[in-house]
Amino acid sequence: MAADGSAGDLVIDARDVTKTYDTGEVQVHALRGVDLQVPRGEMVAIMGPSGCGKTTLLNCLSGLDAFDDGLVLINGADISRMADNEKTEFRAQGMGFVFQTYNLLPVLSAVENVELPLIVSGTRPAEARELALAALDRVELKQYAGHRPAQLSGGQRQRVTVARAVVNNPAIVWADEPTGALDSTTAGGIMDLLVELNAGADQTQVIVTHAPEVAARCHRTIYMADGLIEREETLRPLAPAPA
Amino acid sequence: MEELFGVSMNTIAVVVVAITAVILALLAWVAFRNPVMFKTGLRNIPRRRAQTTLIIFGLMLATVIMTVAFGTGDTVSSTVTEDIYDLTGETDMLIVWDEEGSPRPEDERVIPLEEVAAWEQRFASDPDIDGFLPILLETLPVINTATGLNEAGATIVAYDTNAAAPFGSLRDLDGNVVTLSGNEIVVNEDLAGEIDAEVGQTLVLLLGGYPVEVVVAAIAPNSFLSGTFDIGATEHPGGTVSFDFLSEILELDGVAYAVVVTNAGGVRDGLDRSDVVEEKLNRVIDGTPYEVQPLKKDAIEIAKLFGSVFTTIFIIFGLFSIAAGILLIFLIFIMLAAERKPEMGMARAVGAKRRHLVESFLAEGMGYDLGAAIVGLVAGVFVTFGMVGLINAFAEAGLGLELRTNLTPRSLIIAFCLGVISTFIVIFFAAVRASRLNIVAAIRDLPEPIVTNPEAATWRGYARAVLNAAVGGGAIAVSVFALYRLPNDFVPLFVVALLLGLVGPYVRVLRQHNFGAPRHERIEGGGIPLWPFWLVPLIPFYLVALLIARIMRDRNPRVSLGLIVLGILLPPIGLLLVASQDRDRPIAWGAGFGVVGLALAALFMEWAFSSDSYFFFAGGVSLAFGWAAFTLRYFRAQERISFTVLAGLLLAFWYVAPAGTLDFIIGDLEGGPELFFLSGIVMVACGTFLIVYNADILLPPVATVGARLGRIVPAVKTAVAYPLTARMRTGMTIMMIGLITFSLVMFSTVNDNFTNIFLSDDAKGGFDTIVFVNSNNRTDDLVAALEESGVDTAPIVAVSEQRIAFAGETEIFVDAPSGPGVAGTFTVIGADAAFFATNEFELKRRAAGYGSDEEVWAAVANDPTLAVIPGELTDAAGAEFSEFALLILDPALVGEGFEPFTLHLHAPGTDLNTPVTVIGQVDDPGDIFWNGIIVQRDTVVAAFPDSDSQRFVIKTRDGTDQEAFAKSIESGLAQASAESFQKLLDDQRAASQGFLLLFQGFMGLGLIIGIAALGVIAFRAVVERRQQIGMLRAIGYQRSMVALSFIFESSFVALSGIVLGAVLGVSLSWVLFTSGGIGEASEGGSFIVPWLQLIVICGIAFGASMIMTWFPAQSASRVAVAEALRYE
Repeated sequence: MAADGSAGDLVIDARDVTKTYDTGEVQVHALRGVDLQVPRGEMVAIMGPSGCGKTTLLNCLSGLDAFDDGLVLINGADISRMADNEKTEFRAQGMGFVFQTYNLLPVLSAVENVELPLIVSGTRPAEARELALAALDRVELKQYAGHRPAQLSGGQRQRVTVARAVVNNPAIVWADEPTGALDSTTAGGIMDLLVELNAGADQTQVIVTHAPEVAARCHRTIYMADGLIEREETLRPLAPAPA
Repeated sequence: MEELFGVSMNTIAVVVVAITAVILALLAWVAFRNPVMFKTGLRNIPRRRAQTTLIIFGLMLATVIMTVAFGTGDTVSSTVTEDIYDLTGETDMLIVWDEEGSPRPEDERVIPLEEVAAWEQRFASDPDIDGFLPILLETLPVINTATGLNEAGATIVAYDTNAAAPFGSLRDLDGNVVTLSGNEIVVNEDLAGEIDAEVGQTLVLLLGGYPVEVVVAAIAPNSFLSGTFDIGATEHPGGTVSFDFLSEILELDGVAYAVVVTNAGGVRDGLDRSDVVEEKLNRVIDGTPYEVQPLKKDAIEIAKLFGSVFTTIFIIFGLFSIAAGILLIFLIFIMLAAERKPEMGMARAVGAKRRHLVESFLAEGMGYDLGAAIVGLVAGVFVTFGMVGLINAFAEAGLGLELRTNLTPRSLIIAFCLGVISTFIVIFFAAVRASRLNIVAAIRDLPEPIVTNPEAATWRGYARAVLNAAVGGGAIAVSVFALYRLPNDFVPLFVVALLLGLVGPYVRVLRQHNFGAPRHERIEGGGIPLWPFWLVPLIPFYLVALLIARIMRDRNPRVSLGLIVLGILLPPIGLLLVASQDRDRPIAWGAGFGVVGLALAALFMEWAFSSDSYFFFAGGVSLAFGWAAFTLRYFRAQERISFTVLAGLLLAFWYVAPAGTLDFIIGDLEGGPELFFLSGIVMVACGTFLIVYNADILLPPVATVGARLGRIVPAVKTAVAYPLTARMRTGMTIMMIGLITFSLVMFSTVNDNFTNIFLSDDAKGGFDTIVFVNSNNRTDDLVAALEESGVDTAPIVAVSEQRIAFAGETEIFVDAPSGPGVAGTFTVIGADAAFFATNEFELKRRAAGYGSDEEVWAAVANDPTLAVIPGELTDAAGAEFSEFALLILDPALVGEGFEPFTLHLHAPGTDLNTPVTVIGQVDDPGDIFWNGIIVQRDTVVAAFPDSDSQRFVIKTRDGTDQEAFAKSIESGLAQASAESFQKLLDDQRAASQGFLLLFQGFMGLGLIIGIAALGVIAFRAVVERRQQIGMLRAIGYQRSMVALSFIFESSFVALSGIVLGAVLGVSLSWVLFTSGGIGEASEGGSFIVPWLQLIVICGIAFGASMIMTWFPAQSASRVAVAEALRYE
C-alpha cells in the first residue's frame, strides 16, 4: 500500500526483512527488519548515509542478494522461495536495472547491450534488435546504436543503461545511484528520462540515491539509518490507478 | 653425454651456472637495495593460489623438456657405455689385418704367432700395456644334440685361456676361472639360452657342412672373451674354444686372425691409455700389413655420440613446446601487469620509479621462475623414467639394448639453469614493458593513452626509429652476424660497428636517466646508474657512453632527415644524435627493429647461398616479411589488409619454397630437422595473424548460427565478442595451441606416410620367407637340403638364391653420360633366374627403350651385364648413418626414360672390375629388404669372389603359416636362420609406431602449456569481468549461461589453435611429401591423412582445454551478484 493509501495494487511488499553480513570476525547488521510497500507506478527514492543499508535493501528486494529473514513479495510472488534459476528468470522478465557504474559490456555495441535482456528472455533476435533500437530512440541515442561504450560519454552510457533497463518493459526498474557519476546537467537529463518512463509506462521505480534533487523528482522518499527505515516523506501523490 | 650441438657439456654447464649466478646476484642486489619493492613483488605470489599454481605449472615446462632431453641422452649414453665396459672387459685394442691398405684374399689375412710373440717381448715391461692375446674367430652354426635346438650363426672365438689372465680370464656365471682344452667349449648366456645348453652336453659345430663335436665346459656371461663381438646387436650368441682346437679344425698353423690387447689399468681407467698405446703399437707395426683399432675407445665415443644424438633429437622436437612456453610466460606477465595496473599507477604516483616496478615484477617473476624450475626438474625426472620405459617397451629391438635410466647431476644442473635463464629473460622484457605506463590511466584502469608523435608515419620518424634501434642493440646483432659471415675485407668495418654498438645501449639508457637529461630537466647532484659496473668486461664502453652523454646532454642540434640517415650509416654520428635527441620523443621501435631484421635477412641470404642452407634462406625471407609488416604498420597502412596480405604471402612462400618450386632461382639448398621448427613457428604465426585480423568477419555468421540455438544465444554472443577485443591474448594463445598441434600433426602425418611407403606389403616383392645361410656352410640347393632334413617343402612355390657383396666389400665407380662420376661402396645383390621370373617389384624408373617392368627384369635375367638399382641409391637418406662412404647417384641420372649408364663393380684389393649397365630403378618399398644393386647371381660371384654371403627368398602357397614354416626351416637346417617377411614388416611397423608414440608423448607435453594458458586467461577473465558478470546475472543470465559463455569463449580460442595447427600440419606435410621435399622417395607418391590420429590429437587437445576452462567457468557462474555489482 502506498504511504497515503490512495494508490493501486502493491508491486513490492517487503516485511521484516533482515540481512547480516558475517565476515568471520565481525557481524554487520545491514537490514534490521525493514517493512516496505510500493504500489504499481510509484517512484520511490531511498536515501540515507553511507552504510545505512540502502543498496543492500535494493539488492534483497530485487533478488540480487539473499536475505536472512522476512518476506519479499514482488507482484505477489515470494522471491525468498525461488531457486536461483527461477529468480533469474523472474528478473529477466519483470525487472530492469540501472547502476552508477553503467556496467555495460565493453565488447558489445550500444544496441547489442540493450537487446541482451530481450535475448535472455527468449525474444527472437530480429525482434530484439527492433525493440532495442526503439528503446535507444526513446533515450535519443538511436544514432549511436553501433557505438561501443568506450566511444560514448558518461551521460550517453547511462542513457544506454536506462534503455537496457526498460527495453523489456519491466514492471520495476531498480536504480542504484543512477546519477552518481554524472554532472548535474546530465543527471537532470537522466532523471527527466526516468520520470518520463515512469509516467508513460506506469512503471514502478526504486532509486537509491544520495542526491536530494533526484529524490525530489520521486513520489516518495524513504530515509534509512542503521538498517532500518527511519521515516518517509511523500512529495507528490501517486495518481490513482485506473478503475 | 659429453657434447650438445658440438659444444662440450662441461662448457655449457659452466656458462649456464655463471649466468644463473649473475641472475640470482642481481635479484639479491634488488632485495638489498629496495626491500620494499622486492617484498611487494613476492607477496603477490600467494594472493591468488589457483592462478599461482597454474603459472608455475605453465612455467615449469621448459625445465621439464630440458630435463627429459638431457636425461634421455644421459640414459642412452650411460647404458651403451656400461654395456660396452661389460662386454669388452679388459680388452682395449685390436690388431687386425689392414684390408684396405693391404688387400689380400681372406685366407691370407692372418697374423703369424711369432710376430705376436715379438710384440709381447717388446712390450713386456711397458707401463701402458698389460698383455697381448692372439685369437681366431668364426661364425658357425651350433646344434645342441640334447635338445635338438640350433643357432645358425654363433660367434666362436678361440684363444689360449691360460694366457687370458691379463684380460680378466674367461669366467663362468659364478666368477670361477675356466681354462679350456681339447674339444671343450664355453658358451655365453645368449647362446645357452638359444639352444638350451647345459654343462656337460655335447654340441655340434658345423664347418663347411662337416660336424665337429664339442662339450660344454661352462656357461659364461656375455663378453668378448665368451664370443660377444657385435656390440650393437640385441642377441650375442657365441662361445669360446681353445686356440689349438680351432686351429686344428680350421687347418691353421701358427697364425691368428687378430690380436687383442689390454692396456694397463682396469676396465675403465685402461681407456685413458688408449691414445698412448695406439701410438706405441702403430710405431711397431708400421710397415706391416696390420692396423691397430682402439676398440673400446671407438665404441665409447660412439656411445657418447649416440647419447648426444638422442638429446639433440629430443631438444629439436621439444623446441615447439619451449617456444609455446616462452609465449605463455610473456602472456602471464602481461596479464599480471594488467591486473596490477592501478596498484602500479598508484605506486608511480607516490614516487616509485619505473625501475622499482621492474624490480618488483622481477622479484615476483623469479619467485614463480625458481619454483617452476624446481617443480620442473622433479617432474622432468619422472617423465624421463616414463620415456625410458616407453623406449624400452617399443624400441628395444630397434636400439639393440635395454635402457637403464641415468641422470647425471651435471645434466640436472644445466636443465635447471636453462629453465631459470629462459624464464628470466622473458620476465625481464615483460617487466620493462609493464613498467611503461601512464600514471593517470593506470590509476583509473583506463586504456593507455596514445602518445602523439609529431613524426608519426613520416620518413623522418622512420629514420629516427632505425637510428634508435641500431644504437639500442641492432648494431650489435648485425655486426656479430656480419663478422661471422662477411669476407675478411669487411671485418675491420664491422669490428668498429660492434664496438660502437656496445656503447649505444648505454647511451640510450643514460639519455633517459637524470645524468643524461638536459639542464632544465636535470636534478643537480644526482648520480649515474651504477648497475653497468656489474658487467665488468663492458665497463670501458659504459665509460665512453658516460662521456658522450655528458658532452651531448645540454645540446639540442637541429636534426634533419639527412643527418639522421648519416647517423645510421656512420655509428659515431648516430651515437651523438641519440645522446642529444628529445627524451620524450616517441620512437617507433617496431619499425626500427624491422629494419635491423631486414639487415639480418640480407646476411642470412648470404649465408644461405654460400652454405646451401635452406634454413637461412627461409629464415631470411621470413625476416624480410617481418620488416614489411612493421613498415606498413608504421606508415599506417590498413592493418587488417597489410597483415592479411603479408601473412598470406609468407604462408604461400612456406608452401611453395619447400616444394622446390623456387629451385630454378635459388638452386638446390639443403635443409635439416631445424626447418621443421622454423616452418612451424613462422607458419603458425602467419595463420594466427590471419585469424585474429579476420575473425570479426568470420564470427558474425557463427553468431548468426548460434542465434538459432535458442537460450544459449546470449552465451554465444558474449563468447564471440570478448576474444576479438583482446587480440594479443587471443593471438598468443591460439599460437601456443597451434604450434603444438602443428608439431604433433605434422610428425604423425609424415611418419604415417613414410611407414605407408616403406613398410607396405610391396616391400616383400612377392616373396614370403627369407633364409640366411651361414657362410661357412653354404648350400647350392635349398629345397634338396630341406627335404634331406625332413622339412616339408610342399608350401614352396618358388625359391631364389642370392649372393651378396655388402657395402664395404665393394667399390663402385660411375660412368655417367656426362663423364666419370663419383665412387663409393654399396651392397650388390646377385639373384638367380627364379628371382627375375618371380619377383613382383615395381620399378620407379625404366631406361629408354624398355616399355614395361617385365621387360627390364627379363633383360637383366638374360644379360649378366645389366643391373637394376635401388631407390636409395639416388637418395642420400641413409648415407649419413652408414659407417661406409656410400655411393650416391645424381637423381638426374635416372629421370623418366633415362639413358642407360654404366657402373663399374670393383672388388677392393683385386684387379677385378666388372662393368654393368643400369636399366631400371626399383620403387622405394624395395629398399627395406633389397637395398642393393641387383644383378645376376653369377655376376656377383665373379665380381666379388671373397664375398660369400648367401641367402634365399621363398614364395609360398597361399594360406601357409609363414612363421611356422620359417621355424621348420631353422629346425631342419642348422646353418640357416629363417624369418617370415610379414613378421619382419610387422616388427618394423611396431617399432615405428612405438617411436611415433614416444615422440608424440614428448611433444604433447607442450599441450599442457596451451591448456595452462587457456586456464590462466579464463581465471583472469573472471576477475576482470566480475562486475560485468554481476550485471549479466542481474538482467537474467542464468549461472549456467555465464559458465557456458566462458566455455564457448575458450572453445573458440582452443578450436582456432587446434584447427590452425592441424590444417597447417597436414597441408605442409602434403606439399613436402608429394613434392619430394623431404626425400625423393615420397615424390609423386599417394598421400594419406591419418584421420584417426588427427581426431585423437585434436580431441585430446580440445578435451583438455575444456576441462581446464571448466574450473574458471564454474567460478564465474558462482560470482555473488550483489557483491560483484558493488565493487569495481
